[in-house]
Amino acid sequence: MTAGRPSPSPAARVSPAPAGLFRTFIARNLRQQPLRSAATVASLAVGVAVVVAIQLSNASSVRGFSTALDALAGRTSLELTVPGVGLDETRLANLGWLREYGLVSPVIDADVLLEIATDGAAPALEAVRLLGVDILRDRPFRDYPLVDGDAPRLVTTQGFLDLLTDPRAVILTRPFTLRHGLAVGDPVTLVAGERTVSLRVTGILGDEGPARVLDGNFALMDIAAAQWAVGRLGRVDRVDVRLADGVDVARAEREMAARVPPGILVRRPSSRGAEVERMLRAFQFNLTALSLIALLVGLFLVYNTVSVSVITRRSEIGLLRTLGVARRAVVGLFLGEAAALAVLGCALGAPLGWLLAHGAVRLTSSTVSQFWIASSATVPPLEPRMVGLAFAVGLPLALVAAAAPALEAARLTPLAAVRRDDDLDARARLSRRSVAGPLALFAAGAWLAAQGPVGGLPVFGMLAALAVVLGAGMAMPAVLFCFRRWCGAAMARWLRVEGRLAHANLGSAIPRLSISVAALAVSLAMMTAIAIMVGSFRETVVYWVGQTLQADLFVSTARGSPAAERGGISAATEAVIAGHPAVEAIDGFMGMDVPYGGSTITVGAGRFATRLERGGLLFKDPADGTAAMSSAIGRDRVVVSEAFSLKYDAGAGDEVQLPTPAGPTPFEVAAVYFDYSSDRGLVVMDAGTFERHFGPERPSGLTLYLASGADPQTVRDELNAALGPERRLFITTNAALRAAVLRVFDATFAITYALEVIAVGVSLFGMAATLLTLVLERRREIAMLRLVGADSGQLRRLIVVEAGVLGALTQAVGLVVGLALSLILIYVINVQSFGWTIQFHLPVGFLAQATVAIVAAAALAGLYPARLAARFELGDAGGIS
Amino acid sequence: MRRQAGGWRRARGVVGAAVVAGALVASGEQVAGQEESRGDADRTAWKSADPGYTLSFPRDHAAHPGHRIEWWYYTGNLHASGGRRFGYQLTFFRFGVDLQPVNPSRWAVRDLYMAHFAVTDVENRGHHVAERLNRAGIGWAGASTETLHVWNDGWSVTLEEGDSPVHRLTATSDDGGLALDLRLDPVGPPVLHGVNGFSQKGAEVGNASHYYSLTRLRTTGRLVVDGEVADVRGLSWMDHEFGTSFLEPAQAGWDWFSIQLEDGTDLMVYVMRRTDGARDPRSSGTLVSRAGAAHLRVDDYRLTPGRRWTSPSSGAAYPVTWRIEIPPHGLDLEVTAAVDAQELETGRSTGVTYWEGAIDVRGTRDGVPVAGSGYLEMTGYAGAPMSTVLR
Repeated sequence: MTAGRPSPSPAARVSPAPAGLFRTFIARNLRQQPLRSAATVASLAVGVAVVVAIQLSNASSVRGFSTALDALAGRTSLELTVPGVGLDETRLANLGWLREYGLVSPVIDADVLLEIATDGAAPALEAVRLLGVDILRDRPFRDYPLVDGDAPRLVTTQGFLDLLTDPRAVILTRPFTLRHGLAVGDPVTLVAGERTVSLRVTGILGDEGPARVLDGNFALMDIAAAQWAVGRLGRVDRVDVRLADGVDVARAEREMAARVPPGILVRRPSSRGAEVERMLRAFQFNLTALSLIALLVGLFLVYNTVSVSVITRRSEIGLLRTLGVARRAVVGLFLGEAAALAVLGCALGAPLGWLLAHGAVRLTSSTVSQFWIASSATVPPLEPRMVGLAFAVGLPLALVAAAAPALEAARLTPLAAVRRDDDLDARARLSRRSVAGPLALFAAGAWLAAQGPVGGLPVFGMLAALAVVLGAGMAMPAVLFCFRRWCGAAMARWLRVEGRLAHANLGSAIPRLSISVAALAVSLAMMTAIAIMVGSFRETVVYWVGQTLQADLFVSTARGSPAAERGGISAATEAVIAGHPAVEAIDGFMGMDVPYGGSTITVGAGRFATRLERGGLLFKDPADGTAAMSSAIGRDRVVVSEAFSLKYDAGAGDEVQLPTPAGPTPFEVAAVYFDYSSDRGLVVMDAGTFERHFGPERPSGLTLYLASGADPQTVRDELNAALGPERRLFITTNAALRAAVLRVFDATFAITYALEVIAVGVSLFGMAATLLTLVLERRREIAMLRLVGADSGQLRRLIVVEAGVLGALTQAVGLVVGLALSLILIYVINVQSFGWTIQFHLPVGFLAQATVAIVAAAALAGLYPARLAARFELGDAGGIS
Repeated sequence: MRRQAGGWRRARGVVGAAVVAGALVASGEQVAGQEESRGDADRTAWKSADPGYTLSFPRDHAAHPGHRIEWWYYTGNLHASGGRRFGYQLTFFRFGVDLQPVNPSRWAVRDLYMAHFAVTDVENRGHHVAERLNRAGIGWAGASTETLHVWNDGWSVTLEEGDSPVHRLTATSDDGGLALDLRLDPVGPPVLHGVNGFSQKGAEVGNASHYYSLTRLRTTGRLVVDGEVADVRGLSWMDHEFGTSFLEPAQAGWDWFSIQLEDGTDLMVYVMRRTDGARDPRSSGTLVSRAGAAHLRVDDYRLTPGRRWTSPSSGAAYPVTWRIEIPPHGLDLEVTAAVDAQELETGRSTGVTYWEGAIDVRGTRDGVPVAGSGYLEMTGYAGAPMSTVLR
């Protein structure tokens, strides 16, 4: 077996010292197999990198939010608020007793846009967190380090006087002003809802506290100016309390909660961070699970490398054993090989992961802020902790992966090892294990898929997916045996002599091929599953959008994300719109975030009468929810989204307690409707009901129904002209909105695809490396083929055909297993994590294209080994004895 | 123009506050400039002190929001039943910022309200200070225009009107270790300074104030010092002053005295120190005896500083003994600080430092020994001259 290798006989150099043995037996071998070693290291590195990247980006999106929250909370111990609507400030007058507990500071806290004029170009627009405080009371709560260029400015009340006296004064951060070339005295425009307010920069904050964590997107205003600018006169978003020294937070929280009027919530600032974390948990759990798939592929390749290493050197192992090397030492040698590969892979993977994280953060943070929170995520520096994680994940798993072949090597008796006939043929029979194993795993997968979520996370669903994936990997030998038994004739018929030879070659190399092919099968199955899941989801969303987006025009304020933003469109604006002759009906929607069941939901208001008249809601329970919805008008009844219904186990007829300014109030669920705009849970009531409980609110979005025959584009232009440029409103046509919805959808799944492409690429690489090994080992046979008259073209075709056939086989398995996986993804994992009903849809076109692409890519992966094979000369057969 | 210096330049505890106010004047003018486009100049014009205005009580105890600046000032010397002696100062300031803010928000700053609260613990040589600075907002600070009722985040002075009006003072520091709860019964009617309470301040017409005092209020109540409660009684002094204009340049600081003698005589007298070291000719005083109030011109009296105490924190050297001679009235008084260390550093809010504290007084009137107590304020000893601080 080793005759073809130009290495000196290992026996001559065997050193009793394990280190020396490792050097001669393993390290040299790795060096002599550079491609396979590189493939394994690279795939491990990529696997580890993906895990690290996802951890980093997960950490940064939540950490970005949490640290921002911490910095904004400052030394606040407790905060008082009415969820969603904030506090009517006149109620504060009755809260004078709060001073008994410590300092009290009312706060306006809003997400706004700042518009900065640029020379010639369109003005720059950035989202910033606006804090409006009474600086006279707030400075014990938060630090506002004013700076003058690089030098700190003496911070006295005088330094903030402009803030008190000038309603247009705003203090920005040094990073922000540097980014936009702003100086004290420069104008900026604040955009809040449809309003615009001209402001003047009166101070610059140093790169500390809120300024630092929000990437500088922080603005400070006086509470009066902020109220006026964002249209919240008469209300404050919350009242921060800093407890006096020695006052116990838990006790104060309890006492204050008992003392405040109903409706006012007393909580710690950190509880908001906890709510957000809970909200994002399912999303991040799924990303983490996905990242592990990439690692799994890498581990398959470690297994493969060590297995091949064991198989190709049975005789050497036998020799070592004969020379008295203990079984333990043999295991150690092969584990050492895996460890060497893993250390290299992890060392490369950590920095690679950090690079990947930059891309991942861009992708995920847009998803996160699209759906959950406005986050300004930045990738944290590569800390030792993350390098540690890379090794902690990569190294032990690599050793586990290598354990099976290493133990197998140790089990070899010296006699069996040196006998050449006990070779692969003995292993080339279809063992019971290679059939029973996968079947058991598939059965386990089926059982796991039927289990419920754990703490809101689809833990069993993920395990089911893992079982199916592993089952697919283990099934590969059986599939290859089936191929050998039943496909010979077909191969010969379709691919002539190359087909027949390829069939024979592949059939005889099953043990060696199984592993790398299994890795590819796993990647392909995952890709297929995700393609089916995303494709089904997309179809479902397309159908939902088609059914529910019935209006002709949509009016929204600048912050047009589905994330809740209350108020925004003034009555005057609506009057202008209603005055247009083509506008027949107007529906308005308004949503606000409220804490519910330890997480955050959106409580919204719509005009049910208009909605019912115009249609366009898809109900789940009852199927025709229109009667139920009309019964909700004028009553304390609500319709809830499917996600809410699933998460909080609330169906039609059930009662939910919502926090209102008057305290927790029961509402009856009239109907459950389908909604794919957010997984956070929506509770919608008629605008009249909303106003009765929460006070008057302006909608943040309007939908307009036009008279038949009116051209939406024309009406849109006319409305824009009538509203004027001062009102920052975005009017979107139905078609444009549908396109935008799908664009958001596709962006959301961009990272999912990216991870999959990486996994497939890595496993193709692994397969190419395996093929190369095979070619190298078969140089005797290949040389013989030359001897019997095969030309180099035929030899090339032979290897390429082998690669292509392997690709096709793998893709076939990938399709079947992927289908099963997609069912788990759609009906178990998705439902448990997000609470969406996805209609199954097979993206046939995509899968067909992918199949062609995979077979082609596999064939291409065979090109290099094929060219190598074509160059073998007769002399290469010289090893024949 | 007997008392043309008026009260403005001595400005008392307002020193620190005046810094805020001074800056506000500047920014207020800025705001006024921006508001020109409204074409309504009257809306931003603060009322000048009017020589024809007649003070009337209790009406003029209340706030005068048409004027930019106003304060109510209480000091006193108190004794606990066990014999311990305390001095206290509780001052409420109102500084107009923007007569008619354009912003309709309740939080828009029309006035800033500041309050200083200090207690001197003579026995323990302690001096405890607390301060408040707030906008009116939703009524966390304010001053009634109906009656004497001024409050600032839990601290307040309230006049209970009736046959025998009573002033009630209450204040508690944030940590609760320093508190005051006092009932003040005025002895005698308000004393008007200057000409019927109108005091020309500077050369320019309108640079003047309205100023009166209740020079003697019998006081009972309770103090909390360092967490210890003491029932106290003694005498207090109340000042109320309002107007619109401000200090002049070339005034470095002032030394101001309020004194209650045991024979029933009360004295207010001060000297403005100019940056060149000379005393300002507008310095003046008022002597209140059973015969009535007599105004003191700058030539009627002499104030001579004695021993100095150097503040370890600011480095300022304050005269803590004084001699006051008022020959036309036969007065020759020795003034000694009850405690040397009665310096106030107003810290975060203003950053201005001054000395304000209880004093012991003994001496002779027409050769007859007299004794008493009072309060002394000294400004302009630390940092920049007041003229530059106040612009």
